[in-house]
Amino acid sequence: LEEEEEIDYTDIEERYAVRFDEGLDHVIVIDGVPIVDDSKKERLFDTLKKRFRTQTGLDVDVGNFHMPFGEDEKSKGFMFIELDSADDAALAIKTMDGYPFDKKHRFAVNRFSDIESLANLSEEYVEPAEEEYVDKEHLRSWLLDPQGRDQLVMCRGDDVHVAWHNRHAPPQIFHTNNRWTESYVQWTPLGTFLATFHRQGIALWGGNTWQRFMRYAHPGARLVDFSPSEKYMVTWSHEPIVVPENGPIGPQHFTADDEGNRVAVWEVKTGHLLRTFPLPPDDEEKKGFSWPFLKWSGDDKYCAQVVPGKQIRVYETPSMGLLEKKSINIDGVVDFEWCPLSDADKAAIEAWGDGTNPAKGAKKPRDNMLAFWVPEVANQPARASVMQVPSREILRSKNLFNVSDCKLHWHPQGNYLCVKVDRHTKTKKSMFCNFEIFRMREKDFPVEVVELKDPVTAFAWEPYGSHFAVISSNDPNLGIIAPGITVKTQLNFFHLDPKKGDFRLLKVLDNKTCNTVFWSPKGRQVVVATLGSSQKFDLEWYDVDLNADLRQGVPAADPAEEVRLIGQGEHYGITDLEWDPSGRFVATSASAWRHSLENGYAIWDLKGQELQKQVQDRFKQILWRPRPRTLLSKEAQKQVRRTIREIGKQFEEEDLAEESNLALQNKELYLRALDEWKAWRAKTKADLAEQREALGKE
Amino acid sequence: MRPILLSGHERSLNQIKYNREGDLLFSVSKDNVVCAWFSHNGERLGTYEGHNGTVWSVDVDATSTLLVTGSADNTLRLWDVASGQKLFEWEFPTAVKRVAWSEDSTQILAVTEARMGYRGALRTFTINRDPASLTSQSKEPSRTITFSGPKATVAAWGSCDEYIVTGHEDGKVALYYHDTKEPETGIDAELEEQSLAVHEGVITDMQMSSDRSFVITSGKDKTAKIVSLKPLQIMKYYTTETPLNSAAIHPTKPYVIVGGGQEAMNVTTTSARQGRFEARFWHIVFEEEVARIPGHFGPLNTIAIHPTGKGYASGGEDGYVRMYWFDESFFRSK
Amino acid sequence: SEHKAALARKLILARHKELLQERARDEAKAEAERARLLAESEQKRLAEETRKKEQDRIRKELDAVRAEETRKMAQSLREKGGIKLTEEEYANLDTEKLVQLQVSQIEKEKKDLAERLRVIFRRMDHLERAYRREELPLLDKDYDR
Repeated sequence: LEEEEEIDYTDIEERYAVRFDEGLDHVIVIDGVPIVDDSKKERLFDTLKKRFRTQTGLDVDVGNFHMPFGEDEKSKGFMFIELDSADDAALAIKTMDGYPFDKKHRFAVNRFSDIESLANLSEEYVEPAEEEYVDKEHLRSWLLDPQGRDQLVMCRGDDVHVAWHNRHAPPQIFHTNNRWTESYVQWTPLGTFLATFHRQGIALWGGNTWQRFMRYAHPGARLVDFSPSEKYMVTWSHEPIVVPENGPIGPQHFTADDEGNRVAVWEVKTGHLLRTFPLPPDDEEKKGFSWPFLKWSGDDKYCAQVVPGKQIRVYETPSMGLLEKKSINIDGVVDFEWCPLSDADKAAIEAWGDGTNPAKGAKKPRDNMLAFWVPEVANQPARASVMQVPSREILRSKNLFNVSDCKLHWHPQGNYLCVKVDRHTKTKKSMFCNFEIFRMREKDFPVEVVELKDPVTAFAWEPYGSHFAVISSNDPNLGIIAPGITVKTQLNFFHLDPKKGDFRLLKVLDNKTCNTVFWSPKGRQVVVATLGSSQKFDLEWYDVDLNADLRQGVPAADPAEEVRLIGQGEHYGITDLEWDPSGRFVATSASAWRHSLENGYAIWDLKGQELQKQVQDRFKQILWRPRPRTLLSKEAQKQVRRTIREIGKQFEEEDLAEESNLALQNKELYLRALDEWKAWRAKTKADLAEQREALGKE
Repeated sequence: MRPILLSGHERSLNQIKYNREGDLLFSVSKDNVVCAWFSHNGERLGTYEGHNGTVWSVDVDATSTLLVTGSADNTLRLWDVASGQKLFEWEFPTAVKRVAWSEDSTQILAVTEARMGYRGALRTFTINRDPASLTSQSKEPSRTITFSGPKATVAAWGSCDEYIVTGHEDGKVALYYHDTKEPETGIDAELEEQSLAVHEGVITDMQMSSDRSFVITSGKDKTAKIVSLKPLQIMKYYTTETPLNSAAIHPTKPYVIVGGGQEAMNVTTTSARQGRFEARFWHIVFEEEVARIPGHFGPLNTIAIHPTGKGYASGGEDGYVRMYWFDESFFRSK
Repeated sequence: SEHKAALARKLILARHKELLQERARDEAKAEAERARLLAESEQKRLAEETRKKEQDRIRKELDAVRAEETRKMAQSLREKGGIKLTEEEYANLDTEKLVQLQVSQIEKEKKDLAERLRVIFRRMDHLERAYRREELPLLDKDYDR
């Protein structure tokens, strides 16, 4: 972070400051407009356009007129006009404010940005702005790609590129922005927006043409986090909030109450600031400022933070007020995690709505839950508990003994909760590990315990299914970070035994160096990587149920045999790895933020076959664009699966055609390059001969 | 393809040059010594002794009679190739970083370092080639270009010596019209005819195409570029993953050779792979890497291609010159 | 002269006796030598015999181990079921052939795995693309809404 501070941003700041101040100053609001229905809208607009021309000399396109209509299908008596500049707006206000349109209607014209600070502003005034963005851009247009491709964003030097991923060719860059961000970029969780970081705050971008969707003025914001359905955004800046005199006022801006705070919560759609939070004083912060600052329930209804040792504070959205106006006091509480929602849970929530008019056959979705743990305090044993929210009822609690530390790992579908308990023997001489697994879809949430003799350094649930991967180590060098030391590890796969019905060790692979687990978002395939070493850059691909398709639901005779190493590779200098949202491809990168050796990226398929490799100086970041949950119903998906053979044949043909097309294009490209070169050389040679002749040299 | 190892230098190489026929190779090094070698077997023809500092640059004239060298001892020297005798010496306030003969071998240019209050400068001298009086040369430069902006690191003569091209520490390439009869002296900003930002950071080498109509430049920014001279324009990019110290254009085949490597002080761990001490062959038109030749134990500092294109040589930080003759199949196999 | 003769005879006798004794000594010596040689050769023979026996034993053991290994290899090959051989053929396999078979077995497994993975990838790829294509009209509707 310190290094970042030394970078001179003044040029960008200047450029940005202009835009930022300008804001919506070119938009005016006219009150006192005749109330009409849709059929008269066009005539009204025409008249308005003429009046504007005669009165102000401004030629305004009716496309820049925005008139909100009420539920009674009548206009609301006011409208917005987007002019070319703030100056034009000033002229329009000067000449048109108080202008008598007809006997009954006299205009009141204001600058849109001023309106927000007017006392008599009604809530309705915000709506048209929302309508405006919906009309402007289809924010999910990237999902309409006929080939169904995924997008990537890449940062290299000061450039940010957005590209289509192609199966047979390097990513096809279709949008490039120089200095789009001052540090890094981040997708929102459903992929709708790209967040960029600026001295003045965060900006979100999206749509077909990468228009800026909204700005969130949080100076120096360095970290951002989004609620699962992108409704809310949390930002953190290391600078305490200062509200300048004569600074902009409005729902999108800080007020004196926010001064000194460093975390802000925003509503994404409106850009409204919902609440700010202070951070503990600096000395305390060094001990552990953890991000995300707020953790979100799967349905965006709540967010919460822990006050270590004392309480969990749950806030309700959108008010961001404390749930029932009081914190949940839990003596000693260390950490908590919300239970994630499964696809089925999400569908159930959608069907149920607010409960007033549920879809046919819809059941009330299960309430939110959070898990927390408390260490041993005052002769009370340590324990892990699951609490229902908002009822605050403890649904299940489990006492734990000889606990050094705990980590709460929810299964991504909310089916299980694994409390990873680091335990010590009575003499505290050696460490081992217990997995306390809560079954969250069964009555009374039964808990079972699986033990591992060695300390565990990584844990990851399979996103769908019931495997989990664990990296453990008995290497005496464990915990020592020094050049030349690569810790030996074991890779352990556990699963829910389909015959015995309990969780057990499935397979151990010893003598590894891997330290990080990346499951495919669809489960089954997993990549384990050696990250952060200066010598080892190994990548291994495993399939944990190789013949699943062949068996068609029949349990395997020997499940351990189904765990297979399916691919191996190395990416020199690797710092990051990410699966694409479909679980078909993997992107690895060596980021210039960490080192300057062979920066660049590689793209692999799920079998560990390298498809692309680019070494690019100052390469920083590559991120797959996330996708929202599919709109296809379960039934529709089943239908697709039934006909996949037929559809597959079409795809094969399409792929073949594309491949040969690509080869042709490549050849053409080569030939063109060669022709251009030859033409240039011929010209320089002719020029040279002329020059020599002129100088009498030959 | 086995190299001939020329191991006469005790310290890292700064520049190597073939003569026009390609039967000789000249090398200069940090050990203050200038060497001449027979290219067919790598035997040393002789040395040119006298410099009291690192010799930064060397060039031999078209007839292989006169040799010019520039050194950190602040002198520019003229030598008799055959006898090894020093013929003349010019002294400057700072080190001489780059020297070059004009196409017609009647003039030389010398680029001097910016240091201790002295600005970098480029000077040209007209050489008296009368065999009877080679030791009598004019002390005065025929022109001086003083760099008020970023200093020049490399320079060369364009076709028919009509232009001088300079490459600068900020990555700029600039073009100066050179009128032999009335050469203009002054500040670069006033004399510069055209300039172009070619690299991000220092230009480490600049070599002419055999007809002097375009150059290849190499940079610490890990790229090499083909730049046309009239007008200045980047024609081709070769992007590598290591800082480059030298680049050369093959005279007959569509390839360029580039070389460099992470400097020892910048290499964080000892893995040899991170240095990348290889000569890299790129297709000049398609901008694709086609081959790598490893061998040096440190960064490659200088590369020269035999004038007939039948071989090349590289000089390294490791103090070795590796000279190669291409196998019959070398270019065919691609 | 008789005395002379007696003396001579006595001398001869003595001489004769001497000779006899000498011969006896020689013979005894020769006999001892013969006996020693005999004993030596017998010892050698015995040593040779034990060595041979030991060798035989080791060879037999080795053969047994090899046979067991071969049997096991054959067994495992049979269990994997990659190669079709009759009982008799299995019984008659020697180690070299088995190693060959094993190599080809590994090759085959590799090929099978590659093919399996190709199918897995293709299936996932096709499914994802098919889902996405089917979703297109819904996305348009979603936007219109």
